[in-house]
Amino acid sequence: MLLPVLALAAAAAVTPERVERLMRQAVVVDLHCDTTQLIVDEGYNLGERYSYAQVDIPRMREGGVSGIFLSIYTSPRRLTPAQAMRQALVQIDAVRREIRRHAKDLAPAVTAAEVLAARKQGRIAVLMGVEGGHMIDSSLAILRTYFELGARYLTLTHGSNTPWADSSGDKPAHNGLTDFGREVVREMNRLGMMVDISHVSDKTFYDALDTSAAPVIASHSSCRKFSPHARNMTDEMLRALGKKGGVVHINYYNGFLDGDFESRYNALKGEQAREDQLHKLFPNDPRRRVAEQRKLDARRTAKLGRVPLSRLLDHFEHAAKVAGIDHVGLGSDFDGVNDQLPEGMEDISKIPNLVRGLMERGFSDADILKILGGNTIRVMRDVERAATR
Amino acid sequence: MRLFIVPLLAAIAAAQSPVDPARVERLLERAVVIDLHSDTTQMILEEGFNLAEAHDYGQVDIPRMRRGRVSAVFLASCPNSRRLTGLESVRRGLEEMDAIRREVRRHPKDLALATTAGEILAARKQGRIAVLTGLEGGHIIDSSLAVLRTFFDLGARYMTLAHFSNTPWADSSNQPPKSNGLTAFGREVVGEMNRLGMMVDISHVSDKTFYDALEASSAPVIASHSSCRFYSSHPRNLSDDMLRALAKKGGVVHINYFNPYLDEKFREGAREVIAFSGPRTGPERRKANAERLARLGRVPFSRLLDHFQHAVKVAGADHVGLGSDFDGVSDQLPEGMEDISKTPNLVRGLMERGFSDDEILKILGGNTLRVMHEVEKAARR
Repeated sequence: MLLPVLALAAAAAVTPERVERLMRQAVVVDLHCDTTQLIVDEGYNLGERYSYAQVDIPRMREGGVSGIFLSIYTSPRRLTPAQAMRQALVQIDAVRREIRRHAKDLAPAVTAAEVLAARKQGRIAVLMGVEGGHMIDSSLAILRTYFELGARYLTLTHGSNTPWADSSGDKPAHNGLTDFGREVVREMNRLGMMVDISHVSDKTFYDALDTSAAPVIASHSSCRKFSPHARNMTDEMLRALGKKGGVVHINYYNGFLDGDFESRYNALKGEQAREDQLHKLFPNDPRRRVAEQRKLDARRTAKLGRVPLSRLLDHFEHAAKVAGIDHVGLGSDFDGVNDQLPEGMEDISKIPNLVRGLMERGFSDADILKILGGNTIRVMRDVERAATR
Repeated sequence: MRLFIVPLLAAIAAAQSPVDPARVERLLERAVVIDLHSDTTQMILEEGFNLAEAHDYGQVDIPRMRRGRVSAVFLASCPNSRRLTGLESVRRGLEEMDAIRREVRRHPKDLALATTAGEILAARKQGRIAVLTGLEGGHIIDSSLAVLRTFFDLGARYMTLAHFSNTPWADSSNQPPKSNGLTAFGREVVGEMNRLGMMVDISHVSDKTFYDALEASSAPVIASHSSCRFYSSHPRNLSDDMLRALAKKGGVVHINYFNPYLDEKFREGAREVIAFSGPRTGPERRKANAERLARLGRVPFSRLLDHFQHAVKVAGADHVGLGSDFDGVSDQLPEGMEDISKTPNLVRGLMERGFSDDEILKILGGNTLRVMHEVEKAARR
């Protein structure tokens, strides 16, 4: 009689074997990596293993990654919308070329089924998300063009308002979504493109939820409970997103994870000023700029240290509690956060640490599988099914 | 004696005309008819032109393509190179490509998006008309190979290196030379098109750009819509030397039906049409077109046949095709070729001129399928 009980207890215990077993079973999908910028700016080769940055094929293999969304990001502040559109095309082209260049390891994908098919072939699925509505230059035709080229989510804004949606990083100009903004959301629904509310203002968030006929995602946002940053989500927002069938993909940036870290980060005025100058100092030398940025990031990390992994676990635990276990996923923001990442989550190879941590917090294997990618696969399918193309 | 003469007369009559309508019909049933250049895109985007409806204006819609036995049509994406910046042209080009895709998807029973020779034949088997896209003017890539590849990914299968303006890397036939043909980057563009499997189109470019492109390209090169300088000295047309060089490269010249390019007497009309500064589409434009047509008249059909005959004589029967320029020439079209439904007239006319069925089949589309296939084979993606 005792043996089965012990066996049950053993199954719940955290052992390297249990971690290993779960990793083999898991479909791991990361909704947001900014590695695209490195590919374009310095010819970063995903096939090599790097001692810097966070994402390459060897490290994705170690992290058991099945699918990754590379973000198409352009600055809404430095570029006009039309310039941003052209740069987005350059980035999409770069991602597609990088995938073809490593055809043994990477597979282009646009659907949940294609993520699973790539996994079966032992390849990592690469998808794309467009990070910022400014890149459609207020044109549904351009939105459809991105979809046609393979992008499967659009973040409605980045850090600046678009002419049709307010950002969390700007003063409100439209009180959320304009009529055209609602049209954008409906067109995304029709196409089967995920509506991403990371970066938007709280009002835009609720307007998007209200407008969308399909579940909505946060591709890389954390919980405001632990850091009051406007980029994070309140408990009410988490609940509303969960109710809509959406998924919040937790962002690993230290400043979003920990309010205290964010204050200390912002206090580093010298580094901030230097960072603001880099684009002016090296306008035509992106390699040099990226190298200088890395030096700056290392200096920051030396001064500020890293947030402990337990704080990252707090976010997963809180989001699961408030939004529901079916509504949490991974949205690292790797290569997009100046290397300011928690201890034990320094790059994409560290996913086993997350699995172990969640096990230690008492999550069941089934729950962890949902967080790692199961929920994302489900929401992708829901959005695909809701499409009326 | 009399008995001997009658068959001889009959034979002479058959060689001249009239052609047996059954022969025309039989040939049209077999033919793969491909038009390399129609500008209907602008009307689709700007006035919601619905390809499924029969119109009493414009030149291309599904009912008329059916009557013209069309298997495939290339719709051009053609941002106005004289009014838009490079960046604006990219954006407009994407909108035009989007409009084409949507219009084709809206009529899935009749139309099919296609990008290869194989897909044209597959659509034809299903009873659908294949719609392909070509980029009219290198300005559309804003000097970026990434943007060129983007348009290829979106389905474009030829690019005219320059339109009415010089690009920063290729001279147009419509402006004073600036780069003496193709620049080094222009050659890179041609090389990248070869690599992708995108046809290099030399319509609109300067003579020097033409020869540079021929030299730079590792695959056959096309003229998507150009006629013979022999009958109209317009710089948009090809000289006999150019026709020969294009053919030697394995390319195809697709004959343009625009009156000023067909006949020297109409040549001056081109200036007026090209310089027209009003809207590109809509009732105001159509009114101006009709007024001009009433004033200038139409070129006789025989002159259009002259171009096909001359191009075949100089370039060879394997190197001539159809490049109407329908909906892009302000309705200034020859008698009997007023719209895309008139393909049977062309077939009959070519028969009357003594072309064999095989030659006519090549001109109607066989040559285009061959050149597409060769460009696809030469690709190294």
